[in-house]
Amino acid sequence: MWIDINAYTGSWPYKQLRNSTLSGLAGRMDRFGIDKAVVAGLSGIHYKNTQPANEELYQELKSQSGYQERFIPFAVINPAYPGWKQDLKKCIANGFRGVRIYPQYHDYLPDDPACIELARICREEGLITALTIRMVDSRQRSWLDIPHVAGTAVGEWTLRNFMPLIRAVPDAPYFILNIANGLAVDQADLPLLKKANVLFDTSGRSLGFMPDLLKQYPAEKFAFGSHSPILDYVTGMLRIASLRPDEAGERDKELMRSGNALRFLKQRG
Amino acid sequence: MTDHSTRLTRRKFTAGLISSSLLISSGLAGREPEQKGSFDLMKEVLRFKKVDAYTTSVFTKESIAQHLDYADRYGISRMFAANPMTQIELTPAEFRELNNKVIAAVRQHPDRFTGQFTLNPRFRKESLDEIDRCLDAGMTGTRLYQQVKINDPLYEPVIEKLASRNILIFMHGECQMGVGGYKMKYDAGKVKTISTPDDFADAARKYPEAMFQFAHLGGGSDWECMCKTFEPYPNIYVDTGGSNNEEYMVDFALKHLGEDRLFFGSDNSFYQSIGKIFASELTDGQKEKLFFKNYQRVLKKGGFHVD
Repeated sequence: MWIDINAYTGSWPYKQLRNSTLSGLAGRMDRFGIDKAVVAGLSGIHYKNTQPANEELYQELKSQSGYQERFIPFAVINPAYPGWKQDLKKCIANGFRGVRIYPQYHDYLPDDPACIELARICREEGLITALTIRMVDSRQRSWLDIPHVAGTAVGEWTLRNFMPLIRAVPDAPYFILNIANGLAVDQADLPLLKKANVLFDTSGRSLGFMPDLLKQYPAEKFAFGSHSPILDYVTGMLRIASLRPDEAGERDKELMRSGNALRFLKQRG
Repeated sequence: MTDHSTRLTRRKFTAGLISSSLLISSGLAGREPEQKGSFDLMKEVLRFKKVDAYTTSVFTKESIAQHLDYADRYGISRMFAANPMTQIELTPAEFRELNNKVIAAVRQHPDRFTGQFTLNPRFRKESLDEIDRCLDAGMTGTRLYQQVKINDPLYEPVIEKLASRNILIFMHGECQMGVGGYKMKYDAGKVKTISTPDDFADAARKYPEAMFQFAHLGGGSDWECMCKTFEPYPNIYVDTGGSNNEEYMVDFALKHLGEDRLFFGSDNSFYQSIGKIFASELTDGQKEKLFFKNYQRVLKKGGFHVD
């Protein structure tokens, strides 16, 4: 069984995306043998008030039988904008299982008190907080996109940028998605990261050579993610599927394909 | 004439083609979708014979071992490799030393690696001599970086010599705002001499008989911009290498460049370079061209016999 913990439906304003609806995503999943996907409303990243994207996702989920069994909705929440607590309550009532935050796009920092409060509420509600290191490779970004550009003074974010949040709410469950610019954190944060309830998805560039990464972190820390429809649907799978038996046994592979995702998602019961 | 044989074996190539004809394709557009859970990704990946038209190595024992590991894992039979040569000052002594390192490493693994050479056109005579020396040593093409833009007049004698021998001219290129003259108000702080797609187009117009390889479609740059710029120039090829693996990149390249101008390249990002191809809508025949036949055809023009 395969579960994709990092997928979207919706639009990206700077480029036409293919398969950017639930129908399109289901087609990709069918083609590559993926059973379920965690999905969020991509459009919400560019909305100040993100709730319409969550509502769009909810309506899309109800549009076809089987979608609510196959797709696991996460809400895009902007804790720096009024009304987010009410939005979150509505999303919880509608069966959303986690929250995706985008401080880079919504103009706040992860140690903003509202963001910390959001992670605490998620922890209390049994929701997962999903942190996305980057959305697109800044080297090909649109001139209208955020000014975080690799190699410049305003560089792309790294895992380090999110550590203040994990430090503030260390016992919350986190997905860490599309990891670029390295897995390194400050030495003082390393024990925390290893101990924390975090799951890295396999879509990101920084997952360079999985056999080596599995010597640094156990298989319990990784799960298949595609970052679809922005990144291709196969690379995240390949990082798991191409592991040799002496690098990851069948148990570990199954954890990465779906077991870890199920463990996190079942925390809400 | 010097024997430039790259010793690609017919046996392995044929085996790949035979096996590919025996297996069903995986849910391409218009076909019945695969049943959930039935897709065997590695089986699909290993159906195709592959040569990597863009491997970069520092050629230490460890780096060679890792390249061979990836190659074995993904069915890459041969890697066309060179050192990373990003220094802006590349004296003749330095580029000879780098090329010697490649030659020595290839001699250790002649069945898996073929070398590519670097030079610096600021040193005209030494660069032209180095072309002869490296071709005589069995190298099959260039690995040029940003010492000088590809359409700089300094490159003209180098391009003319390479074109006269039908040698593929591989050069690093980028298509990023703030790089190489493209939308410089977003200056990314890189050297000014990085070649952009427009620079390649300029060279391709001036030398229609030359064959250029723009590295690399997945190098992080704007691949839509690249493909649209290169569309009118049949003598510009692109490899699909690089760490960027955006959805639809390969299909877009196919749409704008056609199925004969694409090479498989990794630039050492093996997961992404393999993944993006198998996520595409390319047919089996188009994949065979991309993974092997296109590069084989171009090398043959230079007298490199892959059988």
